[in-house]
Amino acid sequence: MSTTTTRGTASPAPAKVSGTRPRRGLRASNTLNFWLFTGPFLIGLLIFVFVPIGWSIWLSFFDARFTVTPSNFVGFANYRHMLTNSDFTGSLVTFTVFAAFIVPTTWALSLGLALLVNRLRFMRAFFRSVFFLPTACSYVAAALIWKMAVFNGVRFGLANTVLGWFGIDNVAWISNPSPPWYWLVIVTVRLWLQAGFYMILFLAALQNIPTELYEAASIDGAKSGWQTFRYITLPQLRATSTAVILLLLIAAYQAFDEFYNIITTRATWGQTPLMVLYKTALGANQDYGSGSAGAVILTLLICVITLFQGKIMGFGRGEESK
Amino acid sequence: MSALSSNWDRRSIFRAAAGLGAAGTLAACGGNNGRGGGSGSGKQLTQYFHAYGEAGVEQAVKRYAKAYTKADVSTQWITSNDYESKLFTALLTKQAPDVFEFHPQIQLVKSGQVADLTDIIAPVKDDFNAADIKSHTFDGKTYGIRMIDDPQFFFYRKSMLEKANVSVPTTLDELIEAADKLTTSKVKGLFLGNDLHAIELPLIWSAGAEPLTEKNEIGYHTDAVVGGLRRLRKLFTSGNLLLDAPTDFWDPSAISQGLCAIQFCGMWAMPAMQQALGDDLGVFAFPKVGSSGRPSVYNGGWSMFVNAKGSNVDAAKEYVKWLWLDQKKYQEDFGTSYGFHIPPRTSIASQAEKLKSGLPAEGVKLFNTYGHFDNISWTQAMFSAWDGVISDSVRKGGDPEAALDACDKKINRELKKLFG
Amino acid sequence: MTTTTPPLDKPRRVRRGSVIGNAGLYLAVSVAAVLFLLPFYLIVRNALSTDPEITGENWKWFPTHFQWGNISELFNDETVDFGRSLWNSTVMAVLMTTGILLICSTAGYGLARIPYRHANKVFYAVLATLMVPTAVTFVPSFVLVSSLGWVDTYRGLIIPGLFSGFTCFLFRQYFLGFPKELEEAARVDGLSQWSAYWRVVVPNSLNFFAAMATITFISGWNSFLWPLVIGQDPSAWTVQVALSSYMTNQTVNYHLTFMATAISILPLVFVFLFLQRWLVQGIAQTGIKG
Repeated sequence: MSTTTTRGTASPAPAKVSGTRPRRGLRASNTLNFWLFTGPFLIGLLIFVFVPIGWSIWLSFFDARFTVTPSNFVGFANYRHMLTNSDFTGSLVTFTVFAAFIVPTTWALSLGLALLVNRLRFMRAFFRSVFFLPTACSYVAAALIWKMAVFNGVRFGLANTVLGWFGIDNVAWISNPSPPWYWLVIVTVRLWLQAGFYMILFLAALQNIPTELYEAASIDGAKSGWQTFRYITLPQLRATSTAVILLLLIAAYQAFDEFYNIITTRATWGQTPLMVLYKTALGANQDYGSGSAGAVILTLLICVITLFQGKIMGFGRGEESK
Repeated sequence: MSALSSNWDRRSIFRAAAGLGAAGTLAACGGNNGRGGGSGSGKQLTQYFHAYGEAGVEQAVKRYAKAYTKADVSTQWITSNDYESKLFTALLTKQAPDVFEFHPQIQLVKSGQVADLTDIIAPVKDDFNAADIKSHTFDGKTYGIRMIDDPQFFFYRKSMLEKANVSVPTTLDELIEAADKLTTSKVKGLFLGNDLHAIELPLIWSAGAEPLTEKNEIGYHTDAVVGGLRRLRKLFTSGNLLLDAPTDFWDPSAISQGLCAIQFCGMWAMPAMQQALGDDLGVFAFPKVGSSGRPSVYNGGWSMFVNAKGSNVDAAKEYVKWLWLDQKKYQEDFGTSYGFHIPPRTSIASQAEKLKSGLPAEGVKLFNTYGHFDNISWTQAMFSAWDGVISDSVRKGGDPEAALDACDKKINRELKKLFG
Repeated sequence: MTTTTPPLDKPRRVRRGSVIGNAGLYLAVSVAAVLFLLPFYLIVRNALSTDPEITGENWKWFPTHFQWGNISELFNDETVDFGRSLWNSTVMAVLMTTGILLICSTAGYGLARIPYRHANKVFYAVLATLMVPTAVTFVPSFVLVSSLGWVDTYRGLIIPGLFSGFTCFLFRQYFLGFPKELEEAARVDGLSQWSAYWRVVVPNSLNFFAAMATITFISGWNSFLWPLVIGQDPSAWTVQVALSSYMTNQTVNYHLTFMATAISILPLVFVFLFLQRWLVQGIAQTGIKG
């Protein structure tokens, strides 16, 4: 495991032709080989990724309701509509709130689990498997369990049953947004699904921390405990933490499945950007122009976020720079 | 070396191509997914139905289709709660249904999606409930055929009301009070569905307003409606409303399983409720809201449409005419054998014995006395905008005026797109 | 949780830690483990109960009798053809895994190892697609696929998902670190690059391929949005879409819904138990590289 995990960061620059410069024949065969290897993928990418993106951009400038081959050019009207549409801008707020909940909690929980499991001497594999197992569940299955068995609003939901033991009335976890219990439902479901996955990442990283560091620290008189955690473990996990946070952010940005199945599109809260796009384009409105404009705006946003994060953390660029 | 390697390359390309080809064939073989599949002498038609909750409906629909000889009709039974999304999306594609059930909504007409059925309806037009013809007509042309009318109203447990000494509510305030008196530690007083979507239109009507005026302008934004929303908010936070029930308003389980004393539901669920509760069941209309209101019942229902952009419009029209105009036996079977629905055709409704006495008769009476039919100008997007009003003001506790203002904006945009 | 047990040092080290500390540690993981297993317990409990037992007034930890008949009831249920959806998911996940491994691995190799003038430009074009959330383009994708007549077909379910920029990116990163010597030796022996790839590179990368296969299989099995849009006809539904329909169906049938959930999870639980090594390796690798 450690060999594979360390390889990435240390990988060499893309094979610049080494040694002898290629002769024409070799270069021609390189070209041929290149397309042989990448051709099928690139053709597919062109058809199934670039064409839809282009189509989306094209649609976003048209009045396209109930049609995807519109003829009425409207310029930036769809963009104006989406940017002034409180549903859409509200969904960006929802995303922000959601990310503010889910990113730190998942980070902390998965790191905590990794630290715990890493200290175990017996039954380590067992506990690791237990925490990892929820990753096997789909969001749909998890949403179903949460909605129908854990957090349903009637007497036979697990959460309400437990509250009932303490004499507390049934709580409508999802229908009633004040207090916003639905966040508890949404955050716990994702936490349960994701934490094990990121725990694995942290475990791998923890095992790559050289033992000598701790030994040296202990010789220097650092107390085993918070101090070594703060000054050795955390800094050593920085790269992993960065990656985890970025992954969590992107995942939160694209959240759809559990929101769609738990909150549904009828509510006005808890609507993520993708939910709003689904509703605008595929739902009752069938407004493909505005839906596409929203998609373009989202894409631009995610580009900005990624580039911004890349700038700050030097993520994913290192090996391309000369 | 160069020659050798290019030789190798060429062979490799062939091999790769063969491999891809094989993969393609494999995928193609697997791609045969139940569509068409008939013996195929006649034309192929596809029809879309949403999943009816009552047992036997799916089999019935397929049975009717099978009895039709002039085309091979396959049925798609869409078991999803957003039937409209599925339908609308499918209509954009090559595999669009030829015939589909939906509600009369103007955007389908404006976008040229539904075929004009005036000519096939004309001979039997007088046999239809006039309101059902009107709700499917725009600019003198009729675009859909009503299959069933489904009045929606409240069902209540007589025994529970008696025990709590509550009389049948005639105003929204009384309903709220009743909910309070009926709520116990095990049973909630009232169930309006999990997202309150179903009572949007009844609320407007019962407050003496209309969703849209005759001129297709906003008609719902009145003080009485605002007042109604405020009261609903009170009800919502009272703890007397059943929320997050495992089933929604259209399903009889909430009241039959004893989770609530009063439930908003539809006529279709009446047989199932009677089976579970026997005579311990009564019905009443959505009570009036404010002083100037009047009780109301939403006469919903489902209608058949022909996809005007389909490849077999004429065959589809012929099939729709055959089943939903000519075959009265099937129409009666569909209306009364599974759930209870009111046949839109006078000649059939007058013969439907099951609807003539007892609770069904009371339902029919509510339908006739307080019923409001679909307004063809009220589109799915407007329903969706009103979901926002309920969400914001009733469920979330925001200012109803602000919620309605936000809704006005959306609906005006919609109206402008539809009517200029 | 982290605060209660100061999480430190490597496990292999001889610990001077107290017995109490150890007990606390095991207590903490056990509590966490119970919480993590709770939903699985709920699935099994509900799947093997009758509806009245689930919806009854008093909570029952276990059904009075395990209702194994629920399994056959599920597969005989006419409203949702669950067996069919299982088959669809299997076909989809297997073909997707095979296809993605074939297409993306070769592409990743080409991008990493073949010195072609425009390779970097092509690579940036691939990278750019990572920025666009695939789900954002689902409307045009759907229309494209439907205009090909692929709605409700395996082709429609599978082929558009084969060209994963992310997987290609991961393979490229992997091949960048693959020892050159092996290939060069093969080339000296007269193999073309294509043959060298299949005969030398792939056989020496099976670990990575297995890891990618496991991950791809899981994400294929669990994917929802695209199958939801593509599977118009119930006969084309995948397991996830079928599950979702149980949730939104007009009449809720608890024991069947949870039996369906249990069965839908089962294959992946097996994958997790038996292929965990690849999985852990794959996740560690893909995650780090993000």
